[in-house]
Amino acid sequence: MSDAIISTRELAKSYTSGDVTTDALRGVTLEIKKGSFTAIVGPSGHGKSTLMHLLGGLDRPTAGEVFLDGTDIGRLDNSRLAQLRGEKIGFVFQFFNLLQGLTAKENVEVAAMLAGVPEKEQTERAMRLLAQVGLAGKAESKPSQLSGGQQQRVAIARALANDPSILLMDEPTGNLDSAAEAEVMKILQELHAAGKTVVIVTHNNEIAKKAQHVICVRDGRMA
Amino acid sequence: MTLSKLVIRNITRRRGRFVFTLLGITIGIASFVTFLSMGGSLKSEINRESSALGANLIVTPIGSCAYEQVSILTGEVLPSNITMENVAKIQGIKGISAVPVLTEKTAITNKPVSVNGVDVEKMKGFKAWEVGKGSYFAAADEASAVIGFAAAELFKLEVGSTVTVRGEKLQVKGVLKETGGRDDLTIFLPLPVAQRLYKTGDVVSYLAVKVENLALTDSYIQQIREATNLGVISDKQMLKSVLSIVGTVNITLQMIAAVSVLAAAFGIVNTMMTATYERKREIGILQALGAKQSTIFGIFLLESGFYGILGGAIGVVAGLLVSATAAPYISQNAFTSFVKSSGGGAMVDVKTVVGSVLFSALVAIVAGVYPAWRAARLSPVEAISYE
Repeated sequence: MSDAIISTRELAKSYTSGDVTTDALRGVTLEIKKGSFTAIVGPSGHGKSTLMHLLGGLDRPTAGEVFLDGTDIGRLDNSRLAQLRGEKIGFVFQFFNLLQGLTAKENVEVAAMLAGVPEKEQTERAMRLLAQVGLAGKAESKPSQLSGGQQQRVAIARALANDPSILLMDEPTGNLDSAAEAEVMKILQELHAAGKTVVIVTHNNEIAKKAQHVICVRDGRMA
Repeated sequence: MTLSKLVIRNITRRRGRFVFTLLGITIGIASFVTFLSMGGSLKSEINRESSALGANLIVTPIGSCAYEQVSILTGEVLPSNITMENVAKIQGIKGISAVPVLTEKTAITNKPVSVNGVDVEKMKGFKAWEVGKGSYFAAADEASAVIGFAAAELFKLEVGSTVTVRGEKLQVKGVLKETGGRDDLTIFLPLPVAQRLYKTGDVVSYLAVKVENLALTDSYIQQIREATNLGVISDKQMLKSVLSIVGTVNITLQMIAAVSVLAAAFGIVNTMMTATYERKREIGILQALGAKQSTIFGIFLLESGFYGILGGAIGVVAGLLVSATAAPYISQNAFTSFVKSSGGGAMVDVKTVVGSVLFSALVAIVAGVYPAWRAARLSPVEAISYE
């Protein structure tokens, strides 16, 4: 238990729209070990993304608890929760979600800024992380000038800007061709090898095979 | 990267919208500053004219109101019905010296100019005029003119030139030295000559009165009223009532300008609301990266405040330029003639400049509160899943 970076207990989430209540998660108890590479798999619409949002403190559970480094994050107020995201978590999304008006370097700098890195150190850190994902030459490019694979690598560099305890990725290769997918996967494996905890949500079995642990979510439950 | 840099990057991304929103607040502040600065120069001009008049008391026809008092200071035509009989009565009161003035207008090369018929001997002592070129009137009814310094320059008149007043050619006998007041733009005629040319009969428009002992001012007022049944006011009263009229006009103009600033504020609200919808996804990303609600609120508030500061700064400059260049073209009337004669009109006053920029920033920040609040309360998941 002590080497778990994230654990959940009977985690449930339901959405209410008008009179209809949808149960997205119905009691998930899991544990993710520090330094592990975990894949969350399952069919679309079965609660994978909801689970990832809850693990990363982007959303609050309807019932149950999420512990990050021993802290019950459901009990934190909005401000503390945001601070926790800024300090401990790196998100990567399927649709890259870069800030369109900013260059690759500035995208990473914004994340560093929000994590509290002083302005003077931001550029150095951004350049180092872009080099790490093989994009040192694209630092001044806007997202619209980059390919999908390159954008996703910028997004990974941005997720690393706060030196997070855990990387949470929602279908990071869902929008990429196989060459770009291979590049991204190579970077993730390097990060894992360097000791980062990586959690990846996917419905791609090839990717899941590369993970140490696979958690299967079906109908809002672990299967 | 800092929050303010991020804000500037965001705000300048949509150049068209940025410019139009900025124009709104700029125009609002510019009109505000224009009226403010014109009003300011109006007030200082009135003070200057009042001291240039050099009178302790003014005798006017009974029932004249502040508008006529303004006209005395601006050199506009007044209803003239003070008889020479009354003038003599006032001049007979011991302890005061009174100068009768008939105010009229003429035009030289199609430009309006004030003509004052004055008691030549009394006026010279009263005003402490100095003749710059030529000489002063030799006789109380000499058919010639003495003109102000600025009038001579404006109409290119010299000693020996002729001016035509009411069809009669009069020789310019002298040009006064610059006084800095209304007299500089006035053509002076001996009173009997002015009365004859303008066919007014034996009347004058007002009397300027100096008292020997200021402590007895009230008693002189009483004596004049008893002797003639005319209106008498002190220079201070006149100044007060004139300034109060000008103040009312100023406040009205400033309120109109304030309405345009208000309209610009809603322009900012509109732009910021649009921005919160457009950037919903970005707000979600920033939240995922660790931005607190207060940070999102701050980003949007800074953005609208930026409109206010930049629009305010440009507006102040534009307003001062407009008031400096437009003032001479404003049609002549009792109020605006002050602005005209003051030359530029623009008073660059630090309080006005700083105050206007702060006002603009404040309006913009208040305008940004609601959109910023809307942006801040978005839930991260909702924002990030927004297509």
